Amino acid sequence: MPGLTGQPAAESYLGTTQRHVLDDYALDARWSSDGTHLAALPSQGHPAVLDATGALVAELPAHRGGNSSLAWHPSQPVLATVGQDAVLRLHAAPFGRQTREIALASGWCERVAWNPDGRRLAVTCGRRVLVLDADCGEVQATFDDHRSTVTDLAWNPSRDDQFAAVCDGGAKIWRLGKKAPCGHFDWGGASLLVTWSPDGRWLVTGDQTPSVHLYDTGRKTPLHIQGFESKVKCFAWSDRGERLATGGGSVITLWPCTGPKGPDGATPIQLAGHLGEVLAMDFFPGRPVLASGGADGLVLLWLPLQHSGPALLAKSDAEITAVRWNPHAYVMAYTTSAGEVATGTLRTKETTESQN
Amino acid sequence: MKTPVTVLTGFLGAGKTTLMNRVLTEQHGQRIAVVENEFGEIGIDHELVINAEEEIFEMNNGCICCTVRGDLIRILGNLMKRRDRFDHILIETTGLADPGPVVQTFFVDDDIKEKLSVNAVVTLVDAKHILEHLDDSDEAKEQIAFADVILLNKCDLVDTADLDRLEARLKAMNGMARIHRTTNAEIEIPKVLDVGGFNLDHALAQDPQFLEPEYPFEWGGIFRLPAGPAEITATINPDPTMRLVVLPVAAADEDALAAARETAVRAFSERDEVAAAPSGSTLAADGALRELVLQDGPMRWTLDLPREGCYAVFTEHYPEELAMEIKAAGQTVAAAPAAAYKPDHEHDESVTSVGLEADGECDGEKLSRWLGPLVREQGTDIFRMKGVFAVRGQDKRIVFQGVHMLLDSKPGEPWGGRPRRSSLVFIGRHLDREALNRGFRACLA
Repeated sequence: MPGLTGQPAAESYLGTTQRHVLDDYALDARWSSDGTHLAALPSQGHPAVLDATGALVAELPAHRGGNSSLAWHPSQPVLATVGQDAVLRLHAAPFGRQTREIALASGWCERVAWNPDGRRLAVTCGRRVLVLDADCGEVQATFDDHRSTVTDLAWNPSRDDQFAAVCDGGAKIWRLGKKAPCGHFDWGGASLLVTWSPDGRWLVTGDQTPSVHLYDTGRKTPLHIQGFESKVKCFAWSDRGERLATGGGSVITLWPCTGPKGPDGATPIQLAGHLGEVLAMDFFPGRPVLASGGADGLVLLWLPLQHSGPALLAKSDAEITAVRWNPHAYVMAYTTSAGEVATGTLRTKETTESQN
Repeated sequence: MKTPVTVLTGFLGAGKTTLMNRVLTEQHGQRIAVVENEFGEIGIDHELVINAEEEIFEMNNGCICCTVRGDLIRILGNLMKRRDRFDHILIETTGLADPGPVVQTFFVDDDIKEKLSVNAVVTLVDAKHILEHLDDSDEAKEQIAFADVILLNKCDLVDTADLDRLEARLKAMNGMARIHRTTNAEIEIPKVLDVGGFNLDHALAQDPQFLEPEYPFEWGGIFRLPAGPAEITATINPDPTMRLVVLPVAAADEDALAAARETAVRAFSERDEVAAAPSGSTLAADGALRELVLQDGPMRWTLDLPREGCYAVFTEHYPEELAMEIKAAGQTVAAAPAAAYKPDHEHDESVTSVGLEADGECDGEKLSRWLGPLVREQGTDIFRMKGVFAVRGQDKRIVFQGVHMLLDSKPGEPWGGRPRRSSLVFIGRHLDREALNRGFRACLA
């Protein structure tokens, strides 16, 4: 990444921002794989699709009772949303046209995720995970051997047929075509979030207690990291999975995940700058540059390997609920608990010179 | 401002759904979200009703004090992310649920704790059928023990005398709860939703003897009697037998009565077989436990007194219940002083409540040193604790509450010019009133 323009820390490094206000609290926002569209999900009301500049393209139908999750197809401009009405909706560009609506079950659908090749979708519905054929919308497999509600799921980025579901005292790993889980990490407590490292080596859960479990899927012993100020509500992986960033209070911790032991015995890097709980993080694609958002309303930029203090990207009166880098441009989007979706261009020498 | 939450418990058929329907349909001016359990009696179709599948999270390998309701964390977390916030949230539990994990959720989860607070646990009791469960169901006992409000429902199916007995039993288990008698769960909604915080006066209004310890007798008095035979007469038999103790005391005053009371407690606690004393028999004033055999019509016992002096008598009933008198030389002798005591309860010795109160201030550090180990060691048996402390150096009341091993305290209203005093209530199993009282008083500044 080109160097920052050297402005004082109190001044925002994010250039002119476009703003759109959703119907309610913004749960999440995600860029499409080609970076041309941003989808933002309010807790209630209409999900919004914006273009790369932040201008509204379309408002999508709201899920009755509330929205839960959204996911872009890994290579096409197709968006999936689920909500408390147990309905899966698929929308394709040009937006405003809904391509499919599938009634799945009764009860809330908590999470939707595409598999790496984009041919399948997994949806959590209570204690079940349904895997659907993305083309015809039919349920291909149901995974319901769970004692507790599945609170999150993530596909293994290195396999098209394997996903992890958070339930039953930790996480279960399922493979399509198998009736029994191929892995069950049960630490005797409760986990809430899950993420895989981009290389598929590490499976990481954020727990109900202020702790994180890292499972090296090739080994049996998990790492249990404790000592966080509060529950860990967000993770971010650097591009190739060398580093895992964890929230869990106002301090961000960067864990080295390379080498045979990963973070075990290594000294993590701690990034202190937020005045409230860190709620959102995202690594800039291809670079060790991290953006973070917090309950303090700050969006900060970190260059952790240069050990420099944070730079201010934006400041809001409301909590920051998501931060997302556009995968193909120096554009950042963030959302807030007040329903705001903002996009702006990072001020770098390169972008400043191009504007001049 | 935290959003108040009411937790609704009660056995299947007690009337929870009827009450929830009232809350949702009556005009009370509040926007209320209802979290209904998935296995409820009748599903309520209403846009503000959210279905929940009760699910326990064990946060620390099965420690009961660290179990919380995972479904509530998700659902309530979601509700708190809505712009059209609710004025109140009502959570229904299944009939067999232990209310502990529900209440603990509001202590343990930081996000929930920050935005929501338990306003009250409301327990519906089926007045007709609760006795079938009360002796052998831990869940029924726990639901009553956790309650801030008890609705004694279906009162139209039970006569007043039975209701009185049932209410007395519930009060013995949980002296803190306000009890309302209802039919078809008909009650003014504010009595369920606007319960407010802990107030010892409410408990005392329910039971004026709430703060007093329980005794194995109901009455005691001192009689000044001459040497020789005296008579105990009675004409009514409320029970087939009544136990009593007669013992000499040094004087006819309150101190002597208090000293004799402790001797009598020990005598009543004797596990040896007690000699039956039918009408016509002679009793000694020796401090031993006697069991008077009661009958229809006039009864008379001779009291053999070796010397003139003061004698304390402790009985399981008030004298007027038997029309009992003590006579010397044919003249009725009045007891002075005399006292009524809060009787202990034969029915449910396991779940009780203990209220403690003291004028003046507490030492904050001493309180921490007392309460911390107390809940660590006895938290499994302590269902709930509530209290208001006057802490030295603090201008405001310190309002405290706890569930099992979890404690929470926050500043309340300023004391202003009002007298500073501390009060607290424990509800739980096998509570040792004397030990709790000693511990509490040791915290006074």
